[in-house]
Amino acid sequence: MPKITYIKPDGTPLTIENAEGNLMEIAVENGVDGITGDCGGVCSCSTCHVRITPEWIERVGPASADEKNLLSYEDSADGRSRLGCQVVLNPELDGLIVEVVGS
Amino acid sequence: MSDTSCPYDPFKDVRKQKGIHIGHFDGEEIPMILRYHDVRSAAKDWATYSSDTPFRVPIPSEEDVRSYRQLPIETNPPDHTEYRELVEPLFRRPQQQDYIEEIEKMIDRLLESKLRAGIPVEVVSEFALPLQCKALTRLLRVPESEADTWLLWGMHPFLGEDRQEKGADLERYLERKFIEAKQSAPGDDFFSILAHAEFRGRPLTLDEMMGFGNLAFAGGRDTVINMVTAVIGYMAEHPEAITKLRENPKLIPTAAEEFARIISPVSRIGRTCPTGAHVAGHTIKPGQRVALTWASANFDDSVFDAPDEIRLDRKPNPHVAYGFGPHVCLGAPHARTLIRSLLKIISIRLERIDLLTSKQNRLAGPNIDRHGYYDSLEVRFLGLKSLASNGDR
Ligand code: HEM
Ligand code: FES
Repeated sequence: MPKITYIKPDGTPLTIENAEGNLMEIAVENGVDGITGDCGGVCSCSTCHVRITPEWIERVGPASADEKNLLSYEDSADGRSRLGCQVVLNPELDGLIVEVVGS
Repeated sequence: MSDTSCPYDPFKDVRKQKGIHIGHFDGEEIPMILRYHDVRSAAKDWATYSSDTPFRVPIPSEEDVRSYRQLPIETNPPDHTEYRELVEPLFRRPQQQDYIEEIEKMIDRLLESKLRAGIPVEVVSEFALPLQCKALTRLLRVPESEADTWLLWGMHPFLGEDRQEKGADLERYLERKFIEAKQSAPGDDFFSILAHAEFRGRPLTLDEMMGFGNLAFAGGRDTVINMVTAVIGYMAEHPEAITKLRENPKLIPTAAEEFARIISPVSRIGRTCPTGAHVAGHTIKPGQRVALTWASANFDDSVFDAPDEIRLDRKPNPHVAYGFGPHVCLGAPHARTLIRSLLKIISIRLERIDLLTSKQNRLAGPNIDRHGYYDSLEVRFLGLKSLASNGDR
């Protein structure tokens, strides 16, 4: 099962082993600051905003149209932004590192 | 609730053709912004679409029913940000597991009392209203017995023929609570947090505390009651939905969002444009009010596939039922926990809900009106024998 590291808004890393699900669920279950996942993952609330570290971008892939729409309203969004609830972990993403944007 | 002709979206044609509907409220002409991206953009742009207008964020205005500026809703950043921070932690607690479990138990007890009796239940007054009041005691961290007083204010303290009287009643109650809290040692309930809060190096004034109190009691009341009632009405008409959620509990949060989208309990909210604005080819004059019409945005077919259909597994579902931007609903974590818990307990406990009689709310007026809310809904709850007896949750 994949391992994932969140760089929290204060700069400290938090690594979670054997992670399963999407990047929002995993963060909420493990109490990662800056990800509250208010809408439960339906792409409505943007409280799961992360930036993918450059070396992982290709493997994670691009945001969907709905996701891009929502991200377009976030001042802090850039080309590396994703909504955590829309990124599902798979074995290929073992070792993934993402930055939590926070509010 | 019917799946085909959607009573919740009366804006379809005018949203497509014009994007703006000119509403008339108490003699005031208010352009209603109807398209999804126009609504989201305006909600984010607080400088152009200002909330810094006491009594005038709700449409119609509420000068006659309350004497306090509601906080934090009737302010702009940076004041808004600092006011909101004072209560944000309290309003985030509903996302914690112990809170969720308590709300589930509360709903289970209420449902069980109705099951045991086996008699018809009028959902608005005998289920949704008591549930809203009891759950609010949990949010505000006050004894559950306080709900007995709150029940007397009915659906909404600012609606109905006796609205001024009820509004005054609520204000007297809140004033007493804040003064008592101020005279007591600091605690962790809503009244005490505000009574002992520090805002820019000073305590809050009684007027400010009242502004918070006012909104907590008015904003989360008819919204939650309408939502709870509509969910039960839907489940009564769609018994297969109960089975579906029982078999696939992962759908519960998704379904809760779809109900929020469809029901959109806050149809619209006001903003004032101090320097005017341009939206959907329309010019808003300086000082004019507009309505952010959440209930219309949530049915925009440029964003939602088959928006009239209720799809309990709709995902993505980028709705704006809880608003957007700096003022996004503070009570949303509580409302979401409540609706998810309701769906969970219904799916675990009930075989079906029999619909006996219902009276839908049909407001008539000069504006485009939404229907679908229940004035009354009489049902019978039928328990699921096999699961109810072995205590399996
Ligand atoms: C299903 C139920 C609810 C819905 C659909 C709903 C919807 C909304 C919407 C659309 C707004 C945005 C207003 C604006 O932009 O000016 C809002 C704000 C607010 N709501 Fe709710 N609400 C619900 C329940 C609650 C509850 C239960 C409470 C508290 C007990 C609450 C407290 C508030 C407060 C305090 C604000 C103002 C936030 C701010 O200005 O920063 N709401 N709500
Ligand atoms: S959890 Fe709401 S958009 Fe991701």
